[in-house]
Amino acid sequence: MPEPILQVRNLTVHFYTYAGIVKAIERVSFDVYRGETFALVGETGCGKSVTSRALTQLIESPGRIVEGEVLYHKEDGTVVDLLKLNEEQIREIRGNEIAYIFQDPHASLDPLYTVGYQIGEAMEVHGKVESIKEGIKKAVDILRSVLIPDPENRVKNYPHELSGGMKQRVVIGIGIANNPKILIADEPTTALDVTVQAQILDLINQLKEKYKATVILITHNLGVVAETADRVAVMYAGKIVEIGSVEQIFKNPLHPYTKGLLKAVPNPMTKIERLEAIPGTVPNLITPPSGCRFHPRCPFATEVCKRKVPELKEMEDGHFVACHLY
Amino acid sequence: MADLKKFLIRRILTFIPTIVGVTIIVFLIAYVIPADPAKAWAGGEKASPEAVERIKERYHLNEPWYDQYWFLIKGLATNTLIDPRTSNPVFDDIKDRFPVTFQLAIIAFTFTILIGIPLGLISALKRNTWIDTLVRIFALIGVSTPVFWLGYLLLFVFFVKFRITNLAGVPPAPPVQITHIPIIDSLLTGNFTLFKQHLARFWLPGFVLGFMGTGVLARFVRNSFLEALSGDYIQFLKAKGVPKLRMYRHALKNALVPIVTVLGLQFGGLLAGTPITETVFALPGMGRYAILSIQNLDFPAVVAITFIYAIIYVTANLVVDILYAVIDPRVRY
Repeated sequence: MPEPILQVRNLTVHFYTYAGIVKAIERVSFDVYRGETFALVGETGCGKSVTSRALTQLIESPGRIVEGEVLYHKEDGTVVDLLKLNEEQIREIRGNEIAYIFQDPHASLDPLYTVGYQIGEAMEVHGKVESIKEGIKKAVDILRSVLIPDPENRVKNYPHELSGGMKQRVVIGIGIANNPKILIADEPTTALDVTVQAQILDLINQLKEKYKATVILITHNLGVVAETADRVAVMYAGKIVEIGSVEQIFKNPLHPYTKGLLKAVPNPMTKIERLEAIPGTVPNLITPPSGCRFHPRCPFATEVCKRKVPELKEMEDGHFVACHLY
Repeated sequence: MADLKKFLIRRILTFIPTIVGVTIIVFLIAYVIPADPAKAWAGGEKASPEAVERIKERYHLNEPWYDQYWFLIKGLATNTLIDPRTSNPVFDDIKDRFPVTFQLAIIAFTFTILIGIPLGLISALKRNTWIDTLVRIFALIGVSTPVFWLGYLLLFVFFVKFRITNLAGVPPAPPVQITHIPIIDSLLTGNFTLFKQHLARFWLPGFVLGFMGTGVLARFVRNSFLEALSGDYIQFLKAKGVPKLRMYRHALKNALVPIVTVLGLQFGGLLAGTPITETVFALPGMGRYAILSIQNLDFPAVVAITFIYAIIYVTANLVVDILYAVIDPRVRY
């Protein structure tokens, strides 16, 4: 039995907007095991990013974490609920033990400071270095480890002087600066050129091996999932519909949504003749469909799907699905 | 920063057409006004025709407009043009009055910044609470309060009721002059008694003049600070584990570019407000002198004052442009 590093239970986040309460994610539960790459997949707006940010309370007003627990198993064996920590305690974990890589490298760096300063700052705020000056010196090594050429001069560059791929390397550098236990990569390649996407994914994989970190990869790109992940959770409209290993999900998808998703893109594991779209659109999360949230678009929907919310059921070893068909 | 030198030279060269343009426009307005300045200068309705004729001769008033303009500008540039009303060279009169106006503008500007920026920040941090609403109302009052009304109101309170300020004269300049602005000189030479006297005379007019800009600035600071705070990089800083105060520092620096722009414009706005403020508070400055000159059709003085105001205005904007580059590395010349 692999050892869990993160256990998420019944995580629920609501956004209180003028239009109504947006139930962005509803009772999301999953485990992440130490040392693995865990992928969170789903289409835009299904709550992947919200889930990943809620793990360390990074939800801004008008959003609020309504309920749930995020149990984090520290290296020394103690377990803490990240959602119960106060502002200062969670700050010490963010960027230190659990670090993030955001989607858009053009927006995640402060344009007014050099990249060296921003890497140095990440170390300084966690007391890893005495001053930002010392941090900038160490930033040279970090830039080298994220494969940026000529790091001695690049530390003095401002973000606008670097290309998108370079910026994302800097963002990754900030992420790994404190040697985190968990690296949460929120669509790290979406905003980049296709040509550098593979490089960035390779880099994340290499660093993961090097630092023995756990990676939570958020993406809507199934190709990326097949290539890098060990286990996958599929999200739809704020709920997890299926969890399993990459093999299980790609070879034996159980949930109608997962099946539809795999038919909509070229499947890297089985050959399909024609790509098919899933009919309908993503539901409005202010008034989500009753019962199973996928039932209006589901070709196999029955009466029970409209009434009852399906729970996750283990179908085979480690393969869970939330569907009334099973 | 070697490029900065080139930029400065280029900018200063563009000053010349701007300022020449301003003087031409003011001159032409004065020229087309259906009034007879020569008669006014000679003493009004009772003036003898010979005196009027002599003045016309002396100030080239019978010549075409371009000749008059050239005579005026040449006279101003060499400071040989005698003001028909005071019989002093025009710039001698202005030299005496300039420090008063500049001092007033500096104090007003200090008030604007010291009140406007903190109010804006508080308003942003307490967004959508009663404090925010209060600041919004304050901003609205600030913009819609006429200077003369607020001036007389505060005079009533602080002069008539409590006697905490005075209205007579202006304290002298310190014996050692460095910048020729008394309040700065007295501070630089450590003459604190004199500094206090200047402050006592100027704080109320300064406050009144600066009040209008305060509300606008507060609103601007609030909005640009909030916009900076909603940036992705602030979220990323938070994800990095950066403490709140330092996050605010990042946001504030990013908000500074639009704030500096507004400050530059407001400095120009202050200059426009000086004539009324100086009249209300009986300060012998350039603004009041401008009004007197206009009333007496004293066009040489009006053109000269506009010239000075134009120079201050373009300089303020130049300073803003340089500050952009200091704040934001993306701005290069």
